[in-house]
Amino acid sequence: MLEVNNLMVFYENALAVNDISLEIKQGEIVGIFGSNSAGKTTILNTMAGLTHHLKTREQRRGGTRITITGDMLFQGENITTMKPRQRVERGIILCRERHPVFRDNTVEENLKLGGYLRKEREVEEGMRFVFDIFPPLTRLKKRKAGMLSGGEKEMVAIGMALIAKPKLLLLDEPLLGLSPHMQQEVVRAAVRIREHGVTILMSEQYARPIMPVVDRAYIIENGTLVMIGTSLEMMENPEVKSAYFGT
Amino acid sequence: MAANFLIYGLVNSVVLMLSALGFSLTFGLSGVANFAHGGLYLTSGFIAWMLIHYLGLPAFVSMLLTIVITGIIGALIYRIIIMPVRGIALSEVISTMALGVAMIEFFRYIGFVTYDFTLPPLVAGSVDIVGVSIDYQRLVIVGVGVLLAIILWFFTHHTKAGLALRGMSQDEYTALSLGIESDWAAMLSMGMGAALAAVAAMAILPLGIISINMGYDVLLLALSVTVLGGLESTAGLIVGSLLVGYAMVFTSTYIGPQWGTVVYLAAIVLVLAIKPSGLFGKSKELEERV
Ligand SMILES: Nc1ncnc2c1ncn2[C@@H]1O[C@H](COP(=O)(O)OP(=O)(O)OP(=O)(O)O)[C@@H](O)[C@H]1O
Ligand SMILES: [Mg+2]
Repeated sequence: MLEVNNLMVFYENALAVNDISLEIKQGEIVGIFGSNSAGKTTILNTMAGLTHHLKTREQRRGGTRITITGDMLFQGENITTMKPRQRVERGIILCRERHPVFRDNTVEENLKLGGYLRKEREVEEGMRFVFDIFPPLTRLKKRKAGMLSGGEKEMVAIGMALIAKPKLLLLDEPLLGLSPHMQQEVVRAAVRIREHGVTILMSEQYARPIMPVVDRAYIIENGTLVMIGTSLEMMENPEVKSAYFGT
Repeated sequence: MAANFLIYGLVNSVVLMLSALGFSLTFGLSGVANFAHGGLYLTSGFIAWMLIHYLGLPAFVSMLLTIVITGIIGALIYRIIIMPVRGIALSEVISTMALGVAMIEFFRYIGFVTYDFTLPPLVAGSVDIVGVSIDYQRLVIVGVGVLLAIILWFFTHHTKAGLALRGMSQDEYTALSLGIESDWAAMLSMGMGAALAAVAAMAILPLGIISINMGYDVLLLALSVTVLGGLESTAGLIVGSLLVGYAMVFTSTYIGPQWGTVVYLAAIVLVLAIKPSGLFGKSKELEERV
């Protein structure tokens, strides 16, 4: 579904992503694990077109020089230089890290904005699905999103992404800062989203909570791919096990 | 005397709010400080005048057309002048300021400086309210102010485009990740700001003649009101307008007419010295800027 070939991203002369190739197949849940500054966000942002946008912006104003090489194919189409909007239209939706919501808007308005490029009917359908997998949101509809707890914000953030009607959903550290219980809720939601026909790529620092539902995972360190495998294969590697699974 | 002060203070405040609205809206929604605001205000006055006098269109039609034309000019200014320097605040200010001055001085250069340049009021005549005589056009101004407030509130809370603009102003990258385009948003907010400058001009200019220096005055008024209220806040804009509006009427009635203009300049200096983020300013936390 998505094929990334030899992706390299430089911020000035610092190499954030070093020659990474990966492939995500229709219907999979794929994990990307790595510690702080491994390059997870850069990879996901590049897939969603945000890095390309930043690059153009910085170029215009003579700021940070960003270099992107390699290419990306989505369902056979080359999307390497497409704008974020064009990628959203094709069904690549990113839910950014740290539970971003529009703080001054209500939960309902946030969700509506998720469907910015979709038809009224699709938005209504999406809303129903979101309230179905995150029932707590139903009674939070009229609340200002800025007032929500971290877990509630994450539900709104994922909800917005869902209403945007993803074919490929990119989740950047969705479990960050959530309680174990809330983490389980989000993981359960991911499974239901996949059952709904959506392919998922999920980044995390710590693999254990999501490993049971992940088909395959990539481990990156300092921008470099160090391992690809299934959860079983990863657990067999003592170094990987202690770094990403704890003890 | 007191009724006089209350009523004219209110009208003056609404005049200020209308004059500042376009500037404040563009800044609040896209972060662009459009220093061509005063130039656009003046230009729209002359466009309407030319539509009426050269093309012979009815006044009301000319005014509506002017609002649309000025809006398009605003959007084009973003596309041509601001987009290449977007994100460098100083360049945005310098290029829009230069353009604004050029627009204003252009009309001086082609001789639009006589007393012939006036726009007709929508409703002529005047009425007595609690013993104070007030012309209908001043009531029209208050009406336009109230109507715009309602329309803008509805637009930013209940339409897709309005919600998208607010989303973009709160969190650009999240908005982008949902398919909203940042240049589209900025261009729309510039166009709307320019159109609002024209609405203000169409409502206010019939009170007197169109004089070149209004271009500069309107920019300074807009700056003083928005700086006073806090640049990104709607409540701030209203309170800022009321404060400066009443203070101006107060000083010119009780101290001397020539002091009225000193007030808003003093307001800018005082606020910047004491509370730079304005009375209602949300000085953003560092965390949010990252
Ligand atoms: N806009 C930028 N300008 C300069 N350097 C950047 C920029 N964005 C990211 N980097 C650098 O690129 C590297 C990878 O960062 P990235 O955010 O992709 O890591 P990450 O794996 O998501 O980390 P975390 O788990 O902390 O979110 C880091 O060294 C970071 O400092
Ligand atoms: Mg990250």
